Amino acid sequence: MAGSDHLTADRGVPAFLGRPGPTAFHRLNPLTKATLATVTAVAAVVLGGLLGPIGLVVAAIIVPAGVARVLRRLMRTALLLALPIGVSAFLINLFFFPGGEQVLVRIGPITATAEGLAFALEILVRILAISGAVTLFYLTTRPADLVLDLERRGVSPRIAFVANASVQTVPAMVDRAAQITSAQRARGLDTEGSVWRRLRGVVPIVGPVIMGSIAEVEERTMALEARGFTRPGRRTLLWAPSDTVAEAVTRWGLVLALLAVIVVRLTGIWR
Amino acid sequence: MLVRWIAALMAFLIVILIGMVGIGNFGTGIDPDNFFDTEGANSFALIGAIALVVGFGVYAAVEYAQTGGFASIARQFDTRTIVLIPIAVAVNIILGATVANALKIPIYLDSIGTILVGVLAGPVAGALTGFLSNTLWTYVIPPPFQNGPAAAFGIVAVVIGVLAGLAGRAGWLRPRPNRPLAQLGIGAILTVAVILGMAWLAYLGWTSPAFGGEVNFNVAGSDAIFTVLGWLVLLLVAGTVVGLLAVLFIRRDLTVAYVVVAGLGTGIVAALISAPISANVFSGVTGGGTDFLVAALRQAGADIGAATLGQGLISDPIDKITTFFVVYLILVAMATRTKARFPQGERLLEKGEEGGSEEDGEWRGATT
Amino acid sequence: MTLTLTGVGYRYAGARRPALLDIDLELPDGVVVGLAGASEAGKTTLCLVASGLAPRTVGGQIRGRITLDGEEVDAWPMHRLSQRIGIGFQNPATQLSQVASTVFEEVAFGPMNLAIERDEVVTRTWEALTTLRIDGLAERDPQRLSGGQQQLVAMAGLLAMRPAHLVLDEPTAQLDPAGTRLVADAIDRLARDGASILVAEQKTDLLAAVASSVIVLAEGRVVLQGATAQVLADPRLPELGVPERSAVRLERAASAAGVGRDRLAGALHD
Repeated sequence: MAGSDHLTADRGVPAFLGRPGPTAFHRLNPLTKATLATVTAVAAVVLGGLLGPIGLVVAAIIVPAGVARVLRRLMRTALLLALPIGVSAFLINLFFFPGGEQVLVRIGPITATAEGLAFALEILVRILAISGAVTLFYLTTRPADLVLDLERRGVSPRIAFVANASVQTVPAMVDRAAQITSAQRARGLDTEGSVWRRLRGVVPIVGPVIMGSIAEVEERTMALEARGFTRPGRRTLLWAPSDTVAEAVTRWGLVLALLAVIVVRLTGIWR
Repeated sequence: MLVRWIAALMAFLIVILIGMVGIGNFGTGIDPDNFFDTEGANSFALIGAIALVVGFGVYAAVEYAQTGGFASIARQFDTRTIVLIPIAVAVNIILGATVANALKIPIYLDSIGTILVGVLAGPVAGALTGFLSNTLWTYVIPPPFQNGPAAAFGIVAVVIGVLAGLAGRAGWLRPRPNRPLAQLGIGAILTVAVILGMAWLAYLGWTSPAFGGEVNFNVAGSDAIFTVLGWLVLLLVAGTVVGLLAVLFIRRDLTVAYVVVAGLGTGIVAALISAPISANVFSGVTGGGTDFLVAALRQAGADIGAATLGQGLISDPIDKITTFFVVYLILVAMATRTKARFPQGERLLEKGEEGGSEEDGEWRGATT
Repeated sequence: MTLTLTGVGYRYAGARRPALLDIDLELPDGVVVGLAGASEAGKTTLCLVASGLAPRTVGGQIRGRITLDGEEVDAWPMHRLSQRIGIGFQNPATQLSQVASTVFEEVAFGPMNLAIERDEVVTRTWEALTTLRIDGLAERDPQRLSGGQQQLVAMAGLLAMRPAHLVLDEPTAQLDPAGTRLVADAIDRLARDGASILVAEQKTDLLAAVASSVIVLAEGRVVLQGATAQVLADPRLPELGVPERSAVRLERAASAAGVGRDRLAGALHD
């Protein structure tokens, strides 16, 4: 096919690809940030008690969040994330703790016990720690960057595709659901009211959204295969997040530390 | 080929052995003084799930050593499946978040996508869908759809995907319409027997020391709430049975029976695997409608582990039966042409629907 | 390079009746061939067969010969064929890969899949963007563009693979008038630059503007074939489900109203 050679200027990889983040923490390799989040979350569970998780929250969440200048946003988002389960966990453990004896308050048939309070606080801190760790990752990392990094390290391009497409499909499907909802509302669909009514209202929206998406599968498959998707093996990457030896060492260090803690707790050496 | 399966099976059994012997018993009890309790983390089902993953790893490793590739696994990932998975993940997350946040009912409805992919494309694809859904849900999805605890239950989603894949492969979701009354009758009886059998086992599980750890609730010490709960469960079981019979005989589609059994089995396995995770990590609470059940069970005297398992054994089977049914409806609504091109598509068509045209003379199919 | 179909027939999986029969078609370099016909006449099927998606991706069975410069392509896998023949579809949104957050990455998707060297990928991407005059959109999110813009992005994605031939299945069918104009202009420019295109369209005006010859299908067979002006003036078009060119319709309406041809031409030129 005839090209348009007179138009191709000397342009390289565009600058907007792989733009580095605003702070040093943002610029860490995404795998490092993911490892930090996961290790923190698991450690929060394994450590148990109150002191360990609180220390963890300060060292592994609050300090890095400060460095990344996302502390305010983190607190707001993490609290939002932890709210439903946190409130539930606190109340249920406070009032429905089996074997609690020291009664604090009695409301009808249910009683709040001191043991329940202690346990409830521990669970609450744990949930906040998990919430905070995950939110820190979410606020400082683009999911596509993590997937790209994994692909560079050897993950199959097809799996990488699935991960990336999944991230983009959720908001796209929500938009579609919103469109269908307003269309259905215009036809008289009732979306407020009792649980039963809302449940019935969900069906005329969910149905078209799901079936509409499935109907698109054939077209999308053809479009992908028309662009060389069936070619086996690796593909070219335009860019990939950088990594340093120091970060690799840190990642392994974190994982090993976590394993050590797990072993220590499993064998009952401590506490 | 056989070598791979045998190696995987051996790895599976070894891990189970180590897990059981090493860490302990069938129980679900949790020591309140020691919140991370190994005895509570030992559920047979959780160990089984981990063994499954290890077995899969061994299978893949042996295949790689034999053939330098992962053909039997990769075959489940053709372009069509790869296009379907993100849609399935999105459906899981959106529906699951809606149910958890807006409708406080004791089911999850977050595995429709996983089971759909499993049935259409196979166990490994289903497993990937489940794993991705839960992981993304925690780490990547923004409010208002985010869900903190989801990632911890990734392995449960993996197993659900595998079970759905196996059910699809066995042809369980192939429509069987217009069956004679006699067949439908037998199907109904068998299914009701299975449901009642499972319900009986669950009842035993709650009340007999053989299943539980130190503490179980005392049926005789009838707290009012337990009585209410008992009736609720009875109502749900009865409702399921009646609903099943109604659909079975109205639609005259025998597959409904298979759907219920598949949902029940998957639900029970899911409950068994997720209970120890939920109990140990989150003290049995998820922030959704299921928490009311947990509270009620605890008030009736159950310890954290038993309460979580009890809640799971109520919510999960209902959730999975509903999900399998929805998936079956989706499959029935899909055009034959759409289904047929999926890896397990042939097993989802009515007998007689499949059939390509014969290759006669100059007509030829694709060679690549 | 010339794409040739000889005696080609096709039937979908599970179908008794063939969707295409006895198709003879030649698409040489630098030529634009138009494809017309009622809906369900086989236009889309022919596009799928010509590009290789049928039977590879879609299933079904084929007969006859398909060759590129005389070489049979039956055994070519889809990713090899996609480097010679690119195919675009009606729905702009479903052609997006959904893994690109910028138009640049979207267009680069094809070459990246082919494991072409990175610098070459970048060059081709810029080239494709510039040819279709959308290099200004390079940083935008493809999901947020208008239908017409998305269709151009999809076409750029195809051009980046440097195919010898382009097959376009009703590219403006789902676009609003602005989008249609955008895409029609782009196709026009490609044609003038010497592209080899097979374009299926209901909008006969577009075919009249870019195609040198037109094929009309009915029930899977070729019923009319020849130079554009000739075919589009054929009186059988309406019964074949092909809308007439607006110029022809205008003439007919004018003469029915008693306005002579010369007066009409004079009025149009003012």
